[in-house]
Amino acid sequence: MIATETFKPLVLAQAKARKIEPKLIVVKHPVGGLNAEELRERIETATKGLLEATKQ
Amino acid sequence: MRIVNPTFGLAAAAGPTVALKPINWATDAIALISNSKPNARELLEGVKAKLGAFRNVDNIEFHAKNSASQAAPKELIQAVAGKYRAALLALGD
Amino acid sequence: MTDIAEQEVIDIGDLDVEAFNEFATEQGWSDGMPLYVPTEEKVAKFVERVRGDNRPFPPVPPRQIVPTLQSLAANAVMAGCKPEYFPAVTAAMRGVLDPEYNLHGTLATTHSCAPMVMISGPVRKELDINCGSNCFGQGWRANATIGRALGLMLLNIAGAKPGEMDRSTQGNPAKFTFCFGENEEENPWQPYHVQRGFAPTDSVVTVMSGEGPHNLNDHGSTSGIGLLTTFAGGMANPGANTIYGKGPMFIVIGPEHAATLKRDGFTIESIREELWTRSRVHVSRISEENQETYVSTGHKPDGEWFSIGRSPQDIHITVAGGPGKHSAFIPSFGGTTVASVRIAP
Repeated sequence: MIATETFKPLVLAQAKARKIEPKLIVVKHPVGGLNAEELRERIETATKGLLEATKQ
Repeated sequence: MRIVNPTFGLAAAAGPTVALKPINWATDAIALISNSKPNARELLEGVKAKLGAFRNVDNIEFHAKNSASQAAPKELIQAVAGKYRAALLALGD
Repeated sequence: MTDIAEQEVIDIGDLDVEAFNEFATEQGWSDGMPLYVPTEEKVAKFVERVRGDNRPFPPVPPRQIVPTLQSLAANAVMAGCKPEYFPAVTAAMRGVLDPEYNLHGTLATTHSCAPMVMISGPVRKELDINCGSNCFGQGWRANATIGRALGLMLLNIAGAKPGEMDRSTQGNPAKFTFCFGENEEENPWQPYHVQRGFAPTDSVVTVMSGEGPHNLNDHGSTSGIGLLTTFAGGMANPGANTIYGKGPMFIVIGPEHAATLKRDGFTIESIREELWTRSRVHVSRISEENQETYVSTGHKPDGEWFSIGRSPQDIHITVAGGPGKHSAFIPSFGGTTVASVRIAP
């Protein structure tokens, strides 16, 4: 799951309520409201996080 | 003094445990799921494009909730669970 | 040692009220205002009031625990309720647990929504609920504490801790308390609960996840159609969640406005139709980027107009308040419903 640092506590609290441990990729806040140029950094971070988390 | 705990509750009955199957992120089909907030899909599109340098992306497909403010419908969850071994969710807040 | 959260009854030693409040704040149980102490004795008096209502409570999202009558009552005690208010409080809790209310979404959202509680029927008089002047405001214990009790339950039972599970960008003063009674005595149409199929003798709690009341001031119009022009203008709000979340909303008509509308032959249905048609928002008032967002999530305009709900039935109408030329528009979270629950006798 990709979430922003600001919303990480919400994701963790909801996961705790469901007794699950999410595999979380955290990017800078916000995602909404960014233009394409600004969003590029989030895409880079998310992709890097995904590749690291799924290394086999 | 004895007080009643205002946060007390009984644990809800646990749902069935699902056995996770091994995932090969280099080849398996992946569901990209947007929470329908602005830019969640764009973020996932960007990730998919970048993954193209490492793997075939023809079997990476988009899905989205009907509404950012409501839970994903059961049909969507069942369809994703039935078709894919891996899902990448994006919260576009 | 058992975690405090797992104990229904806690021995806190010899604390006075002030020390209890410090303790409760440390535990995260407070809405920021002083609390009554939920002693076992006080809680028992509240629980006694709902002994006849044996319907179980479902797990409460987002925290997903099943509350006990004792833990619910502890929140009502802390809010300052009288024991006789507790059946209304539990009815409100049952209302927000209607799956269509979408409690999880309404609590975790960045929107400012708060649980609006409206009380109809004979219980308004029995509990001294303010239905008249300043009905949304301060000064009545029942209004203040019934709404507050529900808020504390959502904090402590549902787990809607601000900044963690409750992600509201700005919040809303109505999150402290938002409870009022219908002014049935000055409602020239059917009371709201009767509109929804309940008997006039039933006492009913209605909940909606709403914004605070938006005032609709009209001192100048002398006709019903003039008032509806003002109402529709106030509702046509491009910043309301309902414009793309599509959901219910309330128009709470002040008694003097209601009398004018009735005199001019308007019914609940004709008011709804008029407001539905005239409260649409022209595309020129919505940015192109925002229009794309609406359309991409399935909310398409009708020609050049965005509607603020799904149908005229999304506009819920009642009468409350006292003398004066004011009414109120209360838009909802959007992805929610208006739930009405009969208070168990």
